[in-house]
Amino acid sequence: MSLPTDFGPDSGGRVKGLVIVKPIVYGNVARYFGKKREEDGHTHQWTVYVKPYANEDMSAYIKKVHFKLHESYANPNRIVMKPPYELTETGWGEFEIVIKIYFHDPNERPVTVYHILKLFQSPVTEGAPPIVGRALVSESYEEIVFQEPTQLMQHLLNSVKPITNGPWTHDTNFEEKKEKTLEKIIAAQSKVRNEISELKEKLHLAKETISKFKDEIAKIQNNTASNVLVGV
Amino acid sequence: MADILDILDIEHPGAGEISRDSIIHGDKIKKKYITAKSVKRPEGMHREVFALLYNDSNKDLPPLLPTDSGKAYKQTKAKLGMRKARKWTWAPFNNPARKDNAVFHHWKRASDEAKEYPFAQFNKQVSIPSYTESEYNQYLKSEDWSQAETDHLMDMCQRFDLRFIVIHDRWDRAAFRDRSIEDLKERYYGICATLSKVKTNPWSNTVTTVNGEKRIYHYDAEHEKKRKEQLKRLFDRTQDQIDEEQMLLTELKKIEARKRERERKTQDLQKLISRADSGNMPVTNTVPNNTEATHTPSNVSTNNIVRRHDRKLHKKKLSTQQRPVRTMETVTVEWSGIKFPEARSTGVWLRSQRMKLPPGVGQRKTKAIEQELRLMNIDIAPTPTEAICKHFNELRSDLALALDLKNALAACEFDLQALRHQYEALNPGKTLPIPASLCNTTDGETKPMGEIIDVVGSPSALNSTI
Repeated sequence: MSLPTDFGPDSGGRVKGLVIVKPIVYGNVARYFGKKREEDGHTHQWTVYVKPYANEDMSAYIKKVHFKLHESYANPNRIVMKPPYELTETGWGEFEIVIKIYFHDPNERPVTVYHILKLFQSPVTEGAPPIVGRALVSESYEEIVFQEPTQLMQHLLNSVKPITNGPWTHDTNFEEKKEKTLEKIIAAQSKVRNEISELKEKLHLAKETISKFKDEIAKIQNNTASNVLVGV
Repeated sequence: MADILDILDIEHPGAGEISRDSIIHGDKIKKKYITAKSVKRPEGMHREVFALLYNDSNKDLPPLLPTDSGKAYKQTKAKLGMRKARKWTWAPFNNPARKDNAVFHHWKRASDEAKEYPFAQFNKQVSIPSYTESEYNQYLKSEDWSQAETDHLMDMCQRFDLRFIVIHDRWDRAAFRDRSIEDLKERYYGICATLSKVKTNPWSNTVTTVNGEKRIYHYDAEHEKKRKEQLKRLFDRTQDQIDEEQMLLTELKKIEARKRERERKTQDLQKLISRADSGNMPVTNTVPNNTEATHTPSNVSTNNIVRRHDRKLHKKKLSTQQRPVRTMETVTVEWSGIKFPEARSTGVWLRSQRMKLPPGVGQRKTKAIEQELRLMNIDIAPTPTEAICKHFNELRSDLALALDLKNALAACEFDLQALRHQYEALNPGKTLPIPASLCNTTDGETKPMGEIIDVVGSPSALNSTI
């Protein structure tokens, strides 16, 4: 990766008003050995990865990706400099992997995503053996937002090339998921809003009734009113 | 070394020798030395730093910094020796305080010639009251004191200017029995007091007049004795006793510190209880946790306090009398949902960060919101696109608002019940109608909340116990 020479590390300011969004997908695939391995008790082979959502080469703007594994692994800090940004290991347990993405522009701070490594189908049914051979996928969608990037970064972000000429697909159908989620949320929103206006009305009525009751009580006990009210 | 010699104006050992060279080039060498010193800048020294140093070439430059010394250094000099010196003379003088007319000499100003010896005024005389025999017999008779002894005392007082320690020391033990200082003082001041009452002569220091009223000094011998005894005991303590006292004092401090600590804990607990009690969110499941926390490190007495508070808490739950006032406060709270932080500054960020609840939202509320989301079958961390982010945040804000409203409504309803009971108690046989729409609403609607948080102690639950 050679940087264009006309952009130094502190060339120009940030591009005002510009926002570039780069969607990514991160997660892991896991495959069960079918048995517990004799020598170390490992049961799964897994691969954790960060890949672009769209068909484009992220190395244009990503400098490196840092995967931090569980401390029981030999040298848990693994750094991947080139795409594909992925890491394959074997193990027996699930844990949180810290994924830190660094950018070419030193002015941009790295971003961190957290992924819980998934090896077992949930819910884990007692007694039922894990399916052998078929890979288990757990991945999430994320958007990296470059708010007013520097000119250098703008250049890098806009000069991405496709990774492959073939189709670029994901295991999870995120488009469908997005649509459904949004629908559900908007439906819930209108429901909650109705509820709120209803509650507000009721509250109003309740407050009025309270003051009415108070008036009534005050009327009744003209002589002892004050004492009792304070007491209550 | 050479510099010091220069300053002290001592001839340089080498310079003393007169050679041909020194005669011919003497002046030149000296000049060269000065100019070299003023111009040359040491290797590696910054120009600015060097410029700060004093040297001959810039000695006339004004200082760069303003000074705050004002005109102090410009003021006129002290004028010494402008007046004519006054004359001192070795002169004899007479001290009027002395009765022997002794004449001494001292130096004094010639102009002060006529003045009296100034220190004579410091010779103060104590005026000791006197009495005649008839006066003694009339007023001053005492069983303990004979007249001879009293006379002796008064005489001694006169002689030693009321220095009772001396008087006690010189007491005529052959003629009279030994008396303590307190006895002597008591007798003397007793006489003074009696005489000043019956006679009009002012007995100097025993009588002071305040606002025209005579005030007589009263000597409390008993108190004096006790005071001296106390001081004596304090002085006579052994090292062991002092150590023990010190130890006891530190113990006391410790005990007091512990007591304060306990009080503080109690107050915290009280606050917690009242918050849990009055808050629209029933938090009975959190209170025991907290008491649990205070249980473990505390000693027995704190345990007791905690237990007492637990009991109190139960009582409060049962007694409905105190509740309405407290819940009333929560009704007036303003609701606004959740405020998510506005657009960020420049830089890279992840969309999902936008969906984090701001830190102001409490854990309890966060949990309640999550529970509501789960009930509506919505992922608590949905796919973060811009639109989803926006709507999801709005939804949660609305949910928070709805929860607050529900709680407020429950509180209001509870107030209504309480007021109705009050009304019924005051006016038996009659009742106030609660609007139908407000009745039994909370039971159904607050249920989701009740599932997360223990229902016991919540206002709605209390309604059913009334």
